[in-house]
Amino acid sequence: MDETLDGKLAFAKTEATDISMLPKRLVRRPHMFQIVEGDIPPRTIPLTRDTMVVGRSNQADVRIMTADLSRMHMRVERTRRGFKCIDLGSRNGVYVNHVRVRSAILRDGDHVQLGNVVLMYHEGS
Amino acid sequence: MSFFVRFWGVRGSIPTPGPQTQRYGGNTSCVEVEVDGVRYICDAGSGIRELGIELMSSNLGKLKAHFFFSHMHWDHIQGFPFFGPVYVPDNHFTIWGPKTGDRRFARLLQGQMHSSYFPVDFQDLGGTIHADDLGDGDRVVDGVRVRVFHQHHPGVSYAYRFERDGVSVVYATDSEIDLDLDDPDLPMRDSRALRAVPSDLVEFCRGADLLIADGQYTDAQYPKFVGWGHARATTVTDLAVHAQVKQLAVFHHDPMHTDEQIDMLVKHCQDRAERHGSDMLVFGAREGFELELGQQF
Repeated sequence: MDETLDGKLAFAKTEATDISMLPKRLVRRPHMFQIVEGDIPPRTIPLTRDTMVVGRSNQADVRIMTADLSRMHMRVERTRRGFKCIDLGSRNGVYVNHVRVRSAILRDGDHVQLGNVVLMYHEGS
Repeated sequence: MSFFVRFWGVRGSIPTPGPQTQRYGGNTSCVEVEVDGVRYICDAGSGIRELGIELMSSNLGKLKAHFFFSHMHWDHIQGFPFFGPVYVPDNHFTIWGPKTGDRRFARLLQGQMHSSYFPVDFQDLGGTIHADDLGDGDRVVDGVRVRVFHQHHPGVSYAYRFERDGVSVVYATDSEIDLDLDDPDLPMRDSRALRAVPSDLVEFCRGADLLIADGQYTDAQYPKFVGWGHARATTVTDLAVHAQVKQLAVFHHDPMHTDEQIDMLVKHCQDRAERHGSDMLVFGAREGFELELGQQF
């Protein structure tokens, strides 16, 4: 038994642990969209840049080829309050949890609808 | 014409930061209405700090904005001393009183910045701040018609309707509508019944593109807080149905409510509106939401 600084008795001794198999650093999970509805294959879209544009155009950073989307439909940008989605004047709008927004700060689990495509936002770590 | 509404603070009573309020937000009342570049700021709860940061970082040049206060309870004014743009020379602000000669709001904001409460005196703010009033409660301010409505709240509170070219938003927080009703408990006996709401309030809200209304309490909560000045969410839903508004933002969330509890409260209101044949959108007001009004859906 060891005595701690505050005078209490500690009954368990420190055991040595082999940490050589642990990862050298914590794995960070990126913020991402997951396509959860729409006439396109499901996939995840990591938000790896500070600003990304979603749309049909080949100039868009994230290209989603369905007729409901405008060529430059939505911008997603990193802000001090979190990622923000911004409608770029799209024909069918940007809906966050069914509310048509011009812009919104996104939170984990939000559903962002662009035409018939629904993206689920996952906050990273 | 452009007509935007931005939510900077949606919580009632006291700021409630933390993981359980992260989605709707924990800042107290502040809503910005921007019409053709002119800003109308409703209340200065803690949410106004973020609005100030946004405006300061946007390089908009000289800022001009109008303040409208529902009332002067702490959660509606506590952010004012932290609103960066009021410290900047050349910025210009008007604090509007609800009726002829009423300058109380400007005076009380000054009092909040007395040295006993805050290190910077109101007189030392760099911006130009002056007081005006809405006369008989209906006045055009920089091209936007602003109307005022007296509400039931300890010490009285005011709702405002902002309207331009047929597009309108009503900001109606801290209002215990239930006390103005002849039979507020009707739905407790008949869940399908819609409460009768005073016609002057219904007309004030009539056809608004967006009604932002205090819906702090659930039906189960309300009996414990009668007289505290806030409404049941289902009561404001009934008001919104009667007034045929296009969207209802349930506002002034209870500081004890988590995101999930607000989800449930809002779902209850959505179901209630739908049962009464309304196709309006009901949602929980949420920090960081920006809506553009007047668009075709």
